[in-house]
Amino acid sequence: MTYLFIMLYAVTLIYFALSERVKKFVWLLVIQGIILFAIVFFSLNEIELFDFIFILAETILVKSIIVPWFINKVRKRNNLKRTQEVSVPVFYSIIVVVISLVVSFLISNHLNSSHIHTRYFTVSFASVLFGIYFIIIHKNIFSHVVGYLIIENGIFLLSLAVGSEMPMMVNLAILLDVLMGVLVLGVFINRIGDTFESTRIDQLSRLKD
Amino acid sequence: MNIVLFKIAILLTFVLFLLSRKYQYYFGLALHLAIITISSIWVFNVLALSSTLTLPFIPFLGNTLSIKIDPLSAFFMLVINFTVLTGIIYAKGYLQPYCNKKSKAEMAWHFFNFLWLHISMLLVVIVRDGIAFLMIWEIMSLSSFFLVIFETEKKETIKIGINYLIQMHVGIVFLMIAFIVAYVQTNAEFSFDGLSVYFASHNPFWLFILFFVGFGIKAGFIPLHSWLPHAHPAAPSHVSGVMSGVMIKMGIYGIMRVLLNIPDDLFNIGLFVLIVSLATGLIGISLAIVQKDSKKILAYSSIENIGIIGIGIGLGVIGIAQNLPALAVLGFGGGILHILNHSLFKSLLFYSVGSVYKQTHTRNIEQLGGLIKKMPKTAMFFLLGALAISGLPPFNGFISEFLIYSGIFKSLHSASLYTDIVLMCSFVGLAIIGGLAVFCFTKMFSVMFLGTARSSKVEHAAEVNTPMLIPDFLIGFLIIIIGFIPVIFMRLISQIVVLFSADLSTFQQIIPTLNHISLSSGIFIIIFGLLWLLRAWQQKQQIVKQNATWGCGYSGANAALHQYTATSYADNFVQLTSKIVHVKKDFKDFDEAEIFPQNREFKVRTSDVFEDNLITRPGNKILAWLEKIAVFQTGKIQHYLLYALLFLALIFLLTFFNLI
Amino acid sequence: MVSLVLILISSLFFVGIIVKVKAKIAARKMPPILQPVYDVIRLFKKGAVYSLTTSVIFKIAPLIYFASALVATLFIPIGSFGAFLSFEGDFVFFAYLMGMGKFMMIVAAMDTGSGFEGMGANRESFYSMLVEPAFFILMGSVALFTNNISFHGLFLNFNVDTNLSYIIGIASIYVLVFITMVENSRMPVDDPKTHLELTMVHEVMVLDNSGFDLALIHVASWLKFSIFGALISNFIIQSSWAVHWQIAAFFGIQVAFSFAVGMLEAFRARNKMEKNPQWILMLSAISVVIFLTVLIITQKIILN
Repeated sequence: MTYLFIMLYAVTLIYFALSERVKKFVWLLVIQGIILFAIVFFSLNEIELFDFIFILAETILVKSIIVPWFINKVRKRNNLKRTQEVSVPVFYSIIVVVISLVVSFLISNHLNSSHIHTRYFTVSFASVLFGIYFIIIHKNIFSHVVGYLIIENGIFLLSLAVGSEMPMMVNLAILLDVLMGVLVLGVFINRIGDTFESTRIDQLSRLKD
Repeated sequence: MNIVLFKIAILLTFVLFLLSRKYQYYFGLALHLAIITISSIWVFNVLALSSTLTLPFIPFLGNTLSIKIDPLSAFFMLVINFTVLTGIIYAKGYLQPYCNKKSKAEMAWHFFNFLWLHISMLLVVIVRDGIAFLMIWEIMSLSSFFLVIFETEKKETIKIGINYLIQMHVGIVFLMIAFIVAYVQTNAEFSFDGLSVYFASHNPFWLFILFFVGFGIKAGFIPLHSWLPHAHPAAPSHVSGVMSGVMIKMGIYGIMRVLLNIPDDLFNIGLFVLIVSLATGLIGISLAIVQKDSKKILAYSSIENIGIIGIGIGLGVIGIAQNLPALAVLGFGGGILHILNHSLFKSLLFYSVGSVYKQTHTRNIEQLGGLIKKMPKTAMFFLLGALAISGLPPFNGFISEFLIYSGIFKSLHSASLYTDIVLMCSFVGLAIIGGLAVFCFTKMFSVMFLGTARSSKVEHAAEVNTPMLIPDFLIGFLIIIIGFIPVIFMRLISQIVVLFSADLSTFQQIIPTLNHISLSSGIFIIIFGLLWLLRAWQQKQQIVKQNATWGCGYSGANAALHQYTATSYADNFVQLTSKIVHVKKDFKDFDEAEIFPQNREFKVRTSDVFEDNLITRPGNKILAWLEKIAVFQTGKIQHYLLYALLFLALIFLLTFFNLI
Repeated sequence: MVSLVLILISSLFFVGIIVKVKAKIAARKMPPILQPVYDVIRLFKKGAVYSLTTSVIFKIAPLIYFASALVATLFIPIGSFGAFLSFEGDFVFFAYLMGMGKFMMIVAAMDTGSGFEGMGANRESFYSMLVEPAFFILMGSVALFTNNISFHGLFLNFNVDTNLSYIIGIASIYVLVFITMVENSRMPVDDPKTHLELTMVHEVMVLDNSGFDLALIHVASWLKFSIFGALISNFIIQSSWAVHWQIAAFFGIQVAFSFAVGMLEAFRARNKMEKNPQWILMLSAISVVIFLTVLIITQKIILN
């Protein structure tokens, strides 16, 4: 069953490469959160109630509800344009995401290790690669936040790969990262929105000195 | 006995210079037929018995040079003979207008070179000795050079010819280096057979790359292809048909001959050939789509088909390396059949385009249109060629691509993981190449022959006379036979494939499949025929009228202006692949203040990205650097004497200080 | 033979259901299910008007298009009923035969010498080129999964026993639905209702066809819908079921498919024309994911 959701996660990565509208990014993040919950749910051997509630909270609550709601608020507040520009045509981005998926599957096949659950490593590595690529090609800081969240999802899966259970500390650390990133950037964007009226990064570099 | 006749035929070619223009053509035709007959006797001997024929040829450098004909050489001889035969039959009508404009010596020289191209191509595939091979290769390049620059009155032609000659010589240098390396390292025979000693004891990859570059320049693999799109349009059409149909396959022959001598360690070689061929196929057809010169489109399409042949051969080699018999047999089989198929439909396309050029005096397809009404037979032959080259059933192009696809899909299950990924990339590449070929040839056929005439050049076009259509009939017949009944050619193909991979059980399995394909094609044609009869019966009872095309209120003035042009057809493809196909549009946009638009000009130029970056740009840089040195060349003798004096002083000083 | 008959029957009401669903959602009066059949019968009774610009190509193209669709139907099996024609690698012949039909329709559209039809022809050749890899990768994945390379063998051995094979089934159906929409030039690639020449693909290519030819073109497009519906049903129907269940399931899936197409057409907006290539490429990307899934199932990619 986990494989089903891993493949669905790969498909969401493809949709991230395809879409240009900001609302769609938010929806895809919600769907990714739900898929991550499903992956974790089906891969745990035994579930204690507390662990289960914590995982539910982290994935569904934080990744699918709180964070997208917050990003949506930021989007409306800053009157973002409906579509975001990319510096590489979308056609080539799709080819890049396919190549990164194939490469990460081949790498995880190569890692014949019994210490790592390579089935999660596949899409987690592809997610990290694609998230970095996403940040490189998009010119808007809002999209950078979305890319950062894609990387976070990938690292969440990586923690599944390396851990046999869910160590509490790892989860807390990741959660904190996400919240810090989104809060800081959200505050940042609001401040910028007030002073600058634009969230394009080439204008932001004027802030250098 | 046959050898003596062959040698007499070769010597008789010199008699051409003594004949008058009226008899030159017929004498040349007779000699071609004689050579074809003699070589066909050898070919049938070899193929009937599936053996190798060795005959002593002439004394050469102390030893007797012998010619060895094995099934691979026999196959190439068949292809060469057929294509040159159709070429020389076509040439009669095509060269008619030139007969009066050119002098007796020029025409004799042209026919002489055509004969020597034929002879040298035949000898290339049957000579194994290294030095003799290189000499014959040189004769082939030279004779084709003289054929290309036939229209010497155009300055461009000579420049293109020289470009071609230089690139051919670069290729021959690589071949010489490769042969010399093998000879020096092993001290075996300086020939193809001697290579097997080298490959048995050394890593075959690097020497294979040297041979690949040398033969690849002739074949037209990317990025070694830049001579092809210039030479084929510049040459007269019968020469282009022969060059595109068989001469570039000599490069493929060379690669296959070298491959036969490599016993193992083949995976890297196969992968290399496959990757280069996939790139060649994709980039070749992409560049073909954006051209406007009809022969340039066909030249780039030849590059794409060489890519398909290379894909077949590369997959075959990978199949041998990975022990996948289906892939090995069907990959090679598809590649080899495609050599035959491509020579057929590409020469057919070149002859049709040549007929169009003869009648309209333009190669720019943007000035043509509606030719199907003036030249119906040429148009239908072109359609046949276009359908065949796009690999559509029920014609022959589909059969060779089907063989390659079969090989890939049959081996998917038993291949290893990395081979599976390679196989997936290759069938995706083949599918895209097929789709792009459909795109290119629908554009070319519909812009040239359909719709309304786009310029006045079409007005005086008429169907060409029947002798020029005879080669089209011959080739069309073979295209249809190979497409509908491919099994009769399988025995021929299997004799060549067995040289590479001895396991032929897959070939037996493919025969029922090919029979099913014939059955399906037959059902398709029968249904088409029934529908035609049904419609004729239905429309007899109804009114069938003719009227103008629906124009949505836009028609007026010139109907030809509202048609889709070739540039607009290719436009959405250009937007997708702008990095590879360098298409530059020159026009001034309308600005907002311009209420009544003024006249505008729109220019579209295409350039070959590989030629720009590999040849033109480095060439310009070297020229710029040389121009700086050219400062010394002042033309005044006093300066030159000063240089001599300075040189003497320099030598004196160096000797004085004991430096030399 | 049985599968041919079933596909032909289902093609008769396929487009009717789509139109009915769209009309119901748009709160219009629903036409009868067999209305397209009545339209075609009416066309068969009419004469034809041919354009002066066209040539013999325009006359033979619809015949070749219909013949290619009909012969393609002969290759599709349904459950345990074999196909009329079947051989190894027949899906390659299937794809290229449909390509032959498309080639002739494209040149026939250019034959009319009209800029609109040229636009449609150009887009049709471009989009069909982009969707070819998706179909091939999908078929290649299923061939790898079942170790068979004819349609009949593929679907006979397609058993959904493990969890993972469900993914292949579901994802293949998803990709096939959208391949159908691209092949027939429906939403979201093109809106058949828009009738604005600058935005049509297939509809604009047949502007100048009339009478018998137009009837053949309509029937060919029904056949194409039905063929892909039959392919989708093959992913669901298992050959171990009883015969009457298989036939019932087939019709049920065809009805569900046409219902889904109708819903898709009613609710989904058309893509911007320039965004179509990347959307179609997305289908090939999903097919690659399916291929990777099959590699995992067949244990070529070893994951723990």
